[in-house]
Formats: sequence, structure tokens, C-alpha cells
Amino acid sequence: MSIPGWLDDFLWTYQNLIHGLGINGLLALSMYVVLAVGQLSLGQAAFMGLGAYSGALMTMKLHWPFALVLPASCVVPVAFALAIGVPTLRLSGVYLAIATIGLGEVLRAVYLNVDLFGGALGLNGIPERTETWMIYALLALALAGFWLVGRSRIGRAMEAMREDATAAAVMGVNVARYQLAALVCSAVLAGLAGALSAHASSFIGPNEYGFEPAVTILSYALLGGIGTPLAPVVGAWFLTVLPELLRGLPEIRLAFNGVIIVLAVLFLPRGLLGWRMRRRAA
Amino acid sequence: MSLLETTGLTRRYAGLVAVDQVDLAIPEGGVHAIIGPNGAGKTTLFNLLSGVVTPSAGSIRFGGTDITALPTYRRAALGMARTFQNIRIFTAMSVLENVLTGLHPRMHAGLGSILARLPGFRAEERQAVAEARAALALVGLEGQADLSAGALAYGDQRRLEIARAMAQKPRLLLLDEPAAGMNPAETRAATELVGRLAKGGTTILLVEHDMGFVMGVSDTVTVINFGRKIFAGSPAAVRAEPAVIEAYLGSRLAAKLQAQHGG
Repeated sequence: MSIPGWLDDFLWTYQNLIHGLGINGLLALSMYVVLAVGQLSLGQAAFMGLGAYSGALMTMKLHWPFALVLPASCVVPVAFALAIGVPTLRLSGVYLAIATIGLGEVLRAVYLNVDLFGGALGLNGIPERTETWMIYALLALALAGFWLVGRSRIGRAMEAMREDATAAAVMGVNVARYQLAALVCSAVLAGLAGALSAHASSFIGPNEYGFEPAVTILSYALLGGIGTPLAPVVGAWFLTVLPELLRGLPEIRLAFNGVIIVLAVLFLPRGLLGWRMRRRAA
Repeated sequence: MSLLETTGLTRRYAGLVAVDQVDLAIPEGGVHAIIGPNGAGKTTLFNLLSGVVTPSAGSIRFGGTDITALPTYRRAALGMARTFQNIRIFTAMSVLENVLTGLHPRMHAGLGSILARLPGFRAEERQAVAEARAALALVGLEGQADLSAGALAYGDQRRLEIARAMAQKPRLLLLDEPAAGMNPAETRAATELVGRLAKGGTTILLVEHDMGFVMGVSDTVTVINFGRKIFAGSPAAVRAEPAVIEAYLGSRLAAKLQAQHGG
């Protein structure tokens, strides 16, 4: 079976956008899993950067096959998630958010100043190994996984601790363990997204994983909502397509983005997809 | 042997000893009340027992195990459940889902089994829903199972919190002011419910202001004032104890009453 010519043209023209939609969907889920247990992390962009840089280096310096690079690019983000999560998740409140903002900025300085990471120029000429189907297969797997887990005792425990961590602990939920697991899961998804995007665009730079992209990823979940795993992904798609539609008005694009998020928070506090999933499987 | 035992249990805050050297011995079975004026340290005592607050000194034994340093979630697994003075149900969840959450420590399906929807997982979920419905029936909420918990009336939210705690099949149920904010009819229903739970074999330890309620349901009463235990005994003995009357009414009024009624 061959792809018809017009579809081939379309895919080629919009390849970046198609990749971006899938990768941002993965990042939205990486945000979702942390928010779903009632924590706020701004480290998703940092985890993505760790996956992108470590994955690209494994391909370029170690010449590993992509089938090995992709899973291996989760290792460094997960190590950082554990190093940050173990001390901060015992504290309540915004400590995780603050620590993860710090992580992003520290890593940006490291990428800029260490030769291995190419400095301000970043890494160029990363072999293009990412296929579109890989991105969407992982996105579909992640969505299905969250859906299935959401409708189980784990999903109930997650929602319980998001609403009231003390009451959840009294119900016998090991809140700290779930929160750490959620952060690790988040690092895995962001690491995969990072490696996939690095091997799709052939170039990565230090400024792609700082504070601004971290806030953008948060806004996916703010706009879409977190009642179901699909909601933040839809939020990501909306905010990924929107700039393309506003291409003719580059000056007001960011402002327009901002206005949409403010309106969404004011008038759709539970997001574009506001409903919540049922928490039972029987 | 006591089901729950505290020795020298103390919690200090800056400039305040909320719970001061309290020794409790709660036997297995029956309904046991802790009373005391506002600010006597009753809720802090409950928070210490359930692990929400860590003690400054002293120890807690539950069912023969030292649980002083045990995190809250482990106490649930050992058979301790509680409700809160300011109701803390999960308002976005349905009534049934709230109660299912109470079954969490007794469910064991692993991540693989959940993802693959293995028969073991499905059977466990079915069993859990059946048990949750039974817990709702126990408090008379079986007809509201699929409503949003936040939409329930105040008294029903209290009963839901008790159902959620009972779904844990606890050996000891801590009730923090179960009759607070209730009208006389609701209080009578709560009295009846607490008696029924105790008959079912759950030991009840409750904190309450409503003296009619306390005297009606309790087998033993412990009185706390300024963080200290000042008396423990049967409801009748508590009513006659001068130190208790003094704690509630102040020493001058207590002396006057005593003089009027001939001690």
C-alpha cells in the first residue's frame, strides 16, 4: 500500500507540526501525572532537556541504535527526578515547584558552559531517527496506561491525595510513595519526548528547556484540565496549533496565547475538557 | 490487654502544651469518649493517635504494637480509622468512590494486573464495590451511591465519612465530634449508629461536646482539661466528679452548685 501523493505532500509540509503535536502531547501527560497527585512541578522542560541531550549524545558519541537510545534516554531524567523528589516531596507546599525551577536554570547554565553539550550553539547534526509513528504509539500507550490506572485503586488514591493528602493518608494511602512514583513517571515521559524531539529536528539548544517552555507545558494542563488524561493532551494540541494559525501576526502571538490562558483559568477553571473520569472498573 | 494505650503522651507547641503526659488505656470493644472544654487538646490527641501530628514525648501502642513512630498510612493498615471534626470527604468523587478509597489498604492488585485488566484485578474491584455498598447500607446511604459526595447534605456527609472509615474494617474507629452541627433528631440517629457500629465489633473512641450524646452512648469517659487527663470512669462517675464540674463551669460556680445540692 502506498501513500497517495497529496497526503505525502501534506505530511512533508506539516511534519514539524505533526511531530510537535505528538511530542507536546507526551509533555502534557508528563505534567498531568504530577498534577494528578496534587503536586506542582516545573521540571518537565528540564527533564525533557536531559532526555534530549543524553539521547543525542548516545547516538552521536556512542553510536547506539535508536531502539536502545530511546529507553536509555529516560535514565538521566529519572535519576534527577529521584534526586529532587526524595528530599522535597517530604515537605508540603511549593518546595517541589521551586526546586524544579532551579533545576531548569542550573542545567541551562551547564549546557551553556560545558563543551560536551556544545555551549550556546547546542548540538547540531543529530541523526534523524524519530519516525512519526513512534511518537504517536508512545502517546497512545501513555494515554491508555493512565486511563487504565485511573480506574483502579491507584487512580482513586491519586485523586484522594490531590483533594486532601491528610485524609488520603488516614485512608491508608502511602502519599509520599505515590508522589515520588508520579514524578519518576513524569521524568520518563518528558525524557522520551526530549529524545524523540532531538532525533526529529537534528538540532537542540540550551534555551529550549528553560523556564519559558516549563510554563508552556504547565499551561497545556491548565488549559486542557486534568479531569481525564485526554484533557491536558487536548490543551497541548490547542496551544500547539494556535501559533500556527496566528502565523501572520507574529507580534501579538504570545500576547494572544496569554489572553487565552487567562480566560481559560477565569472561565474554565477545570479546563476545556472539564469532566472527571469515573474511578471504578467494576 | 488494652487495644489502645498511651503512656506519657505529650505534644508541645511554641509556648503551649496541647497534650500533656496523657495516659490512656482503651479496652477492646465498646464506646469510649474523651470530653473536655474547648481547647482542652482533644483534637490534638486524635491527631497524635492517627499519626497526623508527631508526639513530642511519650508512646502509643495499638493492638500490642508500638506505633509511636509509624506513619499515618501504616496505622490504617493495622486497623485504625478516623473521621474529622471538619468533614474531610473527597467532594469531587462520587459517594461510592469515597468509600472505595477506604478499601485502599485492603486491595492488592499490582500495576501489571491493573494495566492488563487481569481477572484477579476485576474480581477485586467487584468485591470492593460490593463491600463499599455494604458500608453505605450500614449508614443508610445506599440510595445515594452515585451522587457526587459534595452534593450531599451536611448530616449525610458525616455519615459518608463514617462509611468510608468503616470500609477499612477497622478494629478501632476514632470519631472526631460525630454529632457536631447536628439537630436533635440527627444526633439521636448518630447515637443509634455509633451503638450499632460498636455492637458490630468495632471499638469506638470519640471526642464530643454534646454531653447528652456522650452520656447516652459511652461505656467509659475520659476527661481532659488544659491537655491533662483529669478523670476517667463511667459516665455516671464523671457526672458526679467535682474536678470535672469545675473544669466545665469554673471553680466558683462549681462550689456554689455543690453547696446548693449538698455535694
